[in-house]
Amino acid sequence: MSRPDAVTRILFEAFPTAEVRLFYVIAYTAIAIFFYGVYVQVRKYGRGAPLRLEGGLGRRLADMAAKVFSHRTVERRDPAAGGAHRLIFYGFLLLFLGTATITLQYDILEPLFGIRFWQGPFYLVFSLVLDLAGIALLGGLIYMMYRRGWLKLPKLDYARPDRAPGDADFDRPQYRREDWAFLWTLLVIGFTGYLLEAARLVWLHDRPDVWDTRWWSPVGAALAALLEAAGLGAHGGGVLRLGLWWFHGLLALVFIALIPFTKVKHIFTAAASLMVRDPRAAQRLPRVPENAQTPGIARITDLNWKQLLNLDACTKCGRCHEACPARAVGAPLSPRDVILSLREFASATLESASLPAAADLDVHGKSPGQISMETLWSCRTCMACVEICPVAVEHVPIIVQMRRKLVEDGAMDPLLAKTLQTIHKSGNSFGESKRKRGSWSKPLPFRIKDARKEPVQVLWFVGDYASFDPRNQKVTQTFAALLHQAGVDFGILYDGESNAGNDVRRVGEEGLYEVLAGANIAALEGASFDTIVTTDPHSYNTIRNEYPDFGGTYEIQHYTSFMRRLFAEGKLKVTQPVKLRATFHDPCHLGRFNKGYEAPRELLKLLGCELVEMGRCRDNSFCCGAGGGRIWIPDPVGAEKPAQNRIREAAAIPGLDVYVVSCPKDLTMFEDALKTTGNEGKFVVKELIELIREAVPAPRAEAAPA
Amino acid sequence: MKILVAVKQVAALDEDFTIRADGRDVDEEFLLRDLNEWDDYSLEEAVKIKEAASQPVEVVVITVAPEHADEALRKCLAKGADRAIRVWDEAVEGSDPIAIARVIAAAARRESPAMLFAGVQSSDQAFASTGVAAAAFLEWPHAAVVTSLKLSPGAQSAVFRRELEGGLLEEVEIHCPAVLTIQLGINTPRYASLRSIKQAAAKPIEVKSLSDLGLNTADVGEAGSASRVRRMVIPDKGRAQLIEGDVAAQARRLAEIIREFQGSAP
Amino acid sequence: MSGVLIMAEQRRGELRPVSLELIGAAQALRRSGDSVAVAILASSPNQFIEPLKLAGVDEIVAIKVESAEFDPDTFEAVAAALITERAPDVVLVAHSVDSFGYAPALAARLGLGFASDVFKVERIEGELIATRGGYGQKVNVEVDFPGHSTVLLALRANVFKPPEQAGSPRITEIAPPPLSSRSVGRGFIELAGGDDVDMTQAEFILTIGRGIGEESNVAQFKELADVVGATLGCSRPIADAGWLPKSRQVGQSGKTAGACKLYIAMGVSGAIQHLAGMKHVATIVAVNSDAGASIFGVAKYGIVGDIFEIAEELRRNF
Repeated sequence: MSRPDAVTRILFEAFPTAEVRLFYVIAYTAIAIFFYGVYVQVRKYGRGAPLRLEGGLGRRLADMAAKVFSHRTVERRDPAAGGAHRLIFYGFLLLFLGTATITLQYDILEPLFGIRFWQGPFYLVFSLVLDLAGIALLGGLIYMMYRRGWLKLPKLDYARPDRAPGDADFDRPQYRREDWAFLWTLLVIGFTGYLLEAARLVWLHDRPDVWDTRWWSPVGAALAALLEAAGLGAHGGGVLRLGLWWFHGLLALVFIALIPFTKVKHIFTAAASLMVRDPRAAQRLPRVPENAQTPGIARITDLNWKQLLNLDACTKCGRCHEACPARAVGAPLSPRDVILSLREFASATLESASLPAAADLDVHGKSPGQISMETLWSCRTCMACVEICPVAVEHVPIIVQMRRKLVEDGAMDPLLAKTLQTIHKSGNSFGESKRKRGSWSKPLPFRIKDARKEPVQVLWFVGDYASFDPRNQKVTQTFAALLHQAGVDFGILYDGESNAGNDVRRVGEEGLYEVLAGANIAALEGASFDTIVTTDPHSYNTIRNEYPDFGGTYEIQHYTSFMRRLFAEGKLKVTQPVKLRATFHDPCHLGRFNKGYEAPRELLKLLGCELVEMGRCRDNSFCCGAGGGRIWIPDPVGAEKPAQNRIREAAAIPGLDVYVVSCPKDLTMFEDALKTTGNEGKFVVKELIELIREAVPAPRAEAAPA
Repeated sequence: MKILVAVKQVAALDEDFTIRADGRDVDEEFLLRDLNEWDDYSLEEAVKIKEAASQPVEVVVITVAPEHADEALRKCLAKGADRAIRVWDEAVEGSDPIAIARVIAAAARRESPAMLFAGVQSSDQAFASTGVAAAAFLEWPHAAVVTSLKLSPGAQSAVFRRELEGGLLEEVEIHCPAVLTIQLGINTPRYASLRSIKQAAAKPIEVKSLSDLGLNTADVGEAGSASRVRRMVIPDKGRAQLIEGDVAAQARRLAEIIREFQGSAP
Repeated sequence: MSGVLIMAEQRRGELRPVSLELIGAAQALRRSGDSVAVAILASSPNQFIEPLKLAGVDEIVAIKVESAEFDPDTFEAVAAALITERAPDVVLVAHSVDSFGYAPALAARLGLGFASDVFKVERIEGELIATRGGYGQKVNVEVDFPGHSTVLLALRANVFKPPEQAGSPRITEIAPPPLSSRSVGRGFIELAGGDDVDMTQAEFILTIGRGIGEESNVAQFKELADVVGATLGCSRPIADAGWLPKSRQVGQSGKTAGACKLYIAMGVSGAIQHLAGMKHVATIVAVNSDAGASIFGVAKYGIVGDIFEIAEELRRNF
């Protein structure tokens, strides 16, 4: 008696009751272990510092769902991995929903309300979808195995730059074991699922509503044909089915129970991490709370719950490791390994019933799980890691907050300490008198308004390097001349301007940052202007994103956007196009930090340049190495500098005429690297402003500054 | 056990400074004040001894100056000093190092420290005298230009090395208590974060007057000094003959000077 | 109060040359009828008498003391006794490490007039006026000594000229006053090596200072020095930081480059301690990006510019 609308699979068919009960006992035990594991993890996060999230939960949930379902963060810079993971994700999701659907009916709806829906056409389509999901899952898994086992990608190499061979935690074979165990377990679960399906079909060959509808489970049906061809009969099928059923079931239950204790937890932690992300993570750093005992992160419990969650979300994909400029030149820093070390430390200390003594919670040092000063000081705060992380781990704020503790202890390079003292004394990193801040303007044939004394439309925040470094002063004078030529009503703060503080803050000297921000905001409040323009991306970042937290909210533009508008409004015209082959280096603080990729490119096009992009451009731009205070810390003698690495990349462009920058530190670093890499004479390094000046020559009446 | 460290807030000159109307000092608005560089080292030496000692050691800093010196004292408190004393009276104005030393000695008599440290000299006036003069008033043993020190708090003697001209060191043993003037490079002074300096504002600065120390106006100021400033003059700006031109031209001239010298050398 | 008393300095069996400069300075200060006496303290003072027989010295006072080398309590006690007995109106010592150790104490104890690091002394209408540096040697400060009948002056080295002619002063031998010394010297130590360079013999020195920025930049200046034929030297901060051995430090505390005739200072600001060791050099060329650096006040030639650019260009000329 077979009614097509009643076709379904009878669960626990031919199982003695005792076995069914045993199954449920094991299942509930596995689930209990699972929930216990979740509890331990959540308790761990609870042991971190508190944090209040900004933004509504609904909005965050929607954002997270969009990211997860589109998988766009996973496919960035590795479309193959993105594609394979999509297959695994959707495969697993569908299979899980499949099981959930069955449970819904079998354990809840049917016994309580007599509702049955898992039958007939629904059941058949259901079976097909799940079979296809299984193919997707297995396909994705096989690709991942190939990727890991054969491709030998450098970013999947777990050797870490902040330990030496021979150190206890130098190479982490346990990670590799876990990775492979995960892949194999899922693969075996998936494959035995198909085999189980096939065995059941063979066993129930004589039941028409099963056998006649078998091609709705195509893989199972194909396998069944193979099994039968190999001589398996109905009885043998039944035995095989029973055995596989238990094997598959137990393996799956063990898998579920171990989720919170293994890499598999990323299913939840990655989604949760995406949901609680700070969209302005490295652009806007958190303040030191008033009542803080020590500033920054000294112990593992100083990390807030979100940061602890971040540590667990990491899947060791290696994208941050690959993107980091410090790691690329051999410095003892890999953002991945900072996160993994802290994760190991957190697991070792925060997952037991009681908390260890405070002294054992110190995350600074060279023992396993701790982070050394050399690692922390290697960071350029370029944000490449934060920007590329598919699961929204925020490495830079953790590093900066750990630096705050180092600064408090005075544990830093003596040159850096001296520079901080100099900045405190004279408001600039050059040690020049405050009175000389505006001296670069003296040779100009026109007077620049003092924004402290008269109202202006545009307040130009010049910045340290642009004011005091001789090479950059030329660019500053050129920009002034261009503004004057365009008839812009602008002024500067002269001695009222201090170092904007962006890098001081990223060094971890929060106290000094507060002094600088306070002084600049006071100066800005005393002036009258419509908008701020700056030629310094670092100043741009901190004034735009961080000053509001200190009471100073202003409209600010980087000069590239401002100049683009000047051209659009016809206030400047290109009369001598610059027909050069150029490449553009996106400055970290303008590009990656503030998404300012387009304006400089539009300007270059306007000027007539032929723009050839470097491989690592836009969001993947390779930092010049000066950020995070590194310009005040000596580089190790003999090591490659990030700027040299970058110039070599540019030198590979055939026929390159000019390497264009739009940041004072970039200009300094790359001109130096041009010489030290032996590329002097092959191409030149120019600030975009200088190219604009070539295309928009000064009117004859005024002499352009020398 | 107590170590007393005499410190000074020195003044550097800002750009385009001018001499005061009475011609005896620079206009105050051009003075950029900061803790004397030598005092970073002498204070650090005292704090290191405190941190290494098995018994409690108190580090007290003292300066003779008006209120603007509180900033320098706060920096000292942030760097590990336990207490700060500032002595001031209008009459102290115009004091030379000998007069200042008299005040420091008077304060030291009341504090009864086991050692008195000072910097070799101040970066502004460079007299190199205050510490050793204070030793005379205290009638204590003294030594100058200490470049390394072995001191156990409360011991009868200390061993140190003094840095002589021509790159020579002399090792000396001295009876304690003593006055030592400390030279640059004896240690690496610690960094005081802005936060710790701000927090040091919570530690009080004891302000004392001359009478608190048993001194009167004749002991200080011009009356108590061994010299008097008649006038300050801005010397003729740099004798150097500046070599002009672009970098290539300047380098060529310099190469010429070198060759001239080498030609004339035997 | 009359006469000039000079406290000579000796170390390790040699009379320190600054002692002769003090004699030269004394000649400008003596009034007619004044006597100039030079005191020499040592365990065997006679070995130092010959070099002190210069024109302008009226008396050499040889005092045989217990310690062969400088001791602050000894010098202070002997000087105090001489001053009390002879009542000179001027006492001259060198502004040196030894005198840092006792001169201020002497002045304080006896209530003398006192000024240190004096580079010019004159009498104006009978008044003694001394000139020293102020605010990091950026101003000249003229001081006088109202109410002090005896004035102790510590004179800067390498400023005053020793007399050229020999003389025939009378020799007086005096026993020191009873004194107990509260410190004892335990021997000298040469600055540990690094390399065998002897700055005291170098005639052409190229010195680098804080202006070079980072340690990795030292190599290019070492190369430059080799190319132009100079001995590489450095200022104190470079040696303190360990970028070059202490044996290469030039300045007050570093090696006295006595034989140096040509000195090129790159990235050296000219802090007083450094200049003190180099002021005697015939030709000093300063290269610094800061036009206001003190060293331009001492140098014969100056280049205001980027030391790296100049270094590179200079190399091209050799």
